[in-house]
Amino acid sequence: MAEFNVNLRGVGSVSVIDVKGYLDAHTAPELENVFNNLLDQKQYQVVVNFDDLKYISSAGLGVFMAYVETMRENQGDIKFSNMKENVYNIFDLLGFPILYEFFKEEKDAIQKFSEQV
Amino acid sequence: MSSNSKILSARGLENAILLSVLLFLFNLIFPQHDVVVLMIINEILVFGSLYFLYNYLHRSLAYKTDSPLSLVLNAGILGALLFFILSIANSVLQTGKDGKISFSFFNSLLFIILIFLFIAAIVYIFASFRELFFLRQKKDPSTYFSTMLSFFTLSFFSNILIHFDSSLDYPRDAFFYVTIILIIINSIRVAWIAFLTKKQKYYLLGLAVVLSIVFGFGFALIIDSKIGQMVLSFSPGLRTIFSLVMIYGMIYFIVIFFTTLFHLPTAEAFDRKAQEVTSMMDVTKLMTQVFDFKDLADTITSMTTKVCNSDSAWLITKNANGIQLNSVHNIGYVDANEVSDKVLGSGDPSFDQIEIIDYEALFADRKYKEHHYHMIAVAPLEVHGKINGYLFAARNKEKPFDVDDRRSVQTFANYAAVALENAMLIQESIEKERLEKELDVARDIQRKILPVNVPSSKELSISALFVPAFEVGGDYYDFFELDSENVAFVVADVSGKGISAAFIMAEVKGIFESLSTIFSNPKELLIKVNEILKGNLDRKNFVTAIYGVLNRKTGVLNISRAGHTPILKCSEGSVERLQPSGIGLGLDFSNSFSNSLKQLEIQLQNNDIIACYSDGITEAKNSQGDDFGFDRLEQLICKNSFKNLDDISNVIMKELSLFSQDNSQHDDITLVLFKWIKQ
Repeated sequence: MAEFNVNLRGVGSVSVIDVKGYLDAHTAPELENVFNNLLDQKQYQVVVNFDDLKYISSAGLGVFMAYVETMRENQGDIKFSNMKENVYNIFDLLGFPILYEFFKEEKDAIQKFSEQV
Repeated sequence: MSSNSKILSARGLENAILLSVLLFLFNLIFPQHDVVVLMIINEILVFGSLYFLYNYLHRSLAYKTDSPLSLVLNAGILGALLFFILSIANSVLQTGKDGKISFSFFNSLLFIILIFLFIAAIVYIFASFRELFFLRQKKDPSTYFSTMLSFFTLSFFSNILIHFDSSLDYPRDAFFYVTIILIIINSIRVAWIAFLTKKQKYYLLGLAVVLSIVFGFGFALIIDSKIGQMVLSFSPGLRTIFSLVMIYGMIYFIVIFFTTLFHLPTAEAFDRKAQEVTSMMDVTKLMTQVFDFKDLADTITSMTTKVCNSDSAWLITKNANGIQLNSVHNIGYVDANEVSDKVLGSGDPSFDQIEIIDYEALFADRKYKEHHYHMIAVAPLEVHGKINGYLFAARNKEKPFDVDDRRSVQTFANYAAVALENAMLIQESIEKERLEKELDVARDIQRKILPVNVPSSKELSISALFVPAFEVGGDYYDFFELDSENVAFVVADVSGKGISAAFIMAEVKGIFESLSTIFSNPKELLIKVNEILKGNLDRKNFVTAIYGVLNRKTGVLNISRAGHTPILKCSEGSVERLQPSGIGLGLDFSNSFSNSLKQLEIQLQNNDIIACYSDGITEAKNSQGDDFGFDRLEQLICKNSFKNLDDISNVIMKELSLFSQDNSQHDDITLVLFKWIKQ
């Protein structure tokens, strides 16, 4: 069974989710739990740090699609950072860069939120 | 010896009846036995009757040992009956003027019947005592009893000696007293009393008082009364045995009385232990019968209250998402949740053995309490060293959980843990089976959706390869003959797996099939598909697709890509990766989709190959976790471009399986190849 870990931390008003390992149909519910908690706490500004993510499947991508609308409706967003090339390629093929913001560094993504406000 | 005793038991009743009849006839012929020989014969006949009847009775009574009280009661009733008959007979039997009994025919007959009654009754009483004696004995105490039997026999026959010389009464007295001592010794074995319930013990106590008195009077009557004298003159041995049995009864019931009296204080504790044992047995039985987790949990909580005499009980299990309350007994869900949160949240959250918690102290900060408990016992549900949950028992009363309570709750929890684990495993395997059935259905849907034939022609050779993954991956491809020149094709991949992917696939097929007849422009068609999918697709689902229209005559290919893997074009040994922009279907329903979607127009050259495929190929992994990737695929197509399409497919599939041989196939694999041959 592929390993997956998810960690949530707050940087200012922004919630940063660190994802690690393999994000697929079996591990996606863990990430969904984190997003549900964020919605419960009305945290809508989210940066997902992909630094340690090795693989993402279509079910993993679906998690972001399921929550991004709610975040945006509440003046928030889901932004991506620190993505490895192979993971980025998967997002790229699907056209995610047209719909989501990608950043090299996590701090840039956080910075972007403060600029919007 | 054993075979001998078998014969005796089989013939016991017949022998007893035979001897009784002989005794009866003998006494009709010789009403008085003044001659020694007659007396001896009579004694032997009496003893034989006693012996065989005893042999028969104690075997038939052996089945009654489950209910010692009924044995006692039967013996007691017979004892009382004997006492009654003795009293009546004293007045009914006619006596002569000299006080001696006249041996009229009527008297003889009545007397013999009485004698038979006596024999039957004392043998039955004695056999009952024997069964009680052997009841609940761990070690075999038969030696003691056999010794006593021997002395009964010796006492019986020692009476004969007196007939020869009246000074020879000391052996009889000696045997008589030794027998009484043995009776006392044997009477102490009353272990069965401990196993009676409290109610039964009270009942037995009363019974013992009455019966010890009855047997005492019985003894007095047989020793010192007219009827006693009659029995003595009929058979001295019988009178000895009679009095010995009466003494036995008296002593035995006195012993029973005191033993029961001493057992009374522990009766309640014993009752509870017995209840625990019954509950434990019920649980072990349930383990093999109840597979439904909820039913089992309910049974466990309701039994917990019985096992440890608590007022409420509830059960929680731990899983990945935290703790879950499974069942409550005599407590509300909200209250149970509150208490368990408080208990497990305070201090060490995991107890590896039973703990007793002071409820008052736990809720000391609370002024108003809806539920009043004093003590709560928390026992872990442990299986294979892993704690799966906790069993709670709570008491309203001030009575604390003592060592026994704790032990029984923990033992009960151990059994319950195994039972729950079993139920869980069974549920899991049922679930797994259901999922597998579901996957069968999904695979079936997919198989029916995919085209059976490819529309190859002399200008356009087409090859389609599809290898399904175990968990249906959601790959879909199709061909539509638009007219004599144009053939359209779609290669798509539905996100997700299993039955849900299969249903979306079916939906998508319907959409493409109907739109292909309306739109000949791939971009327009894909925009329309995206519109239709809006509202028909879960937010987290999406579909990647390539839609192309190829003119067989001119070799012009119009193609659009909605998030799907790049199209490969191999022309004269070199490969081009075509990735016109376009986001996946269902990702976005705003203008971004139509704005970003591009359409490529490609003029194919003779023998050009176009490859469309799913990410099942490029994302196939080897043991190191590397992807098969685009480069390998491109090179393979290039190197083999001179071959026919099916051979190219086979080569790619062979390489792919070599590459990922240590890994199972995670996703569907689809490879659709086109080769245009200029006419």
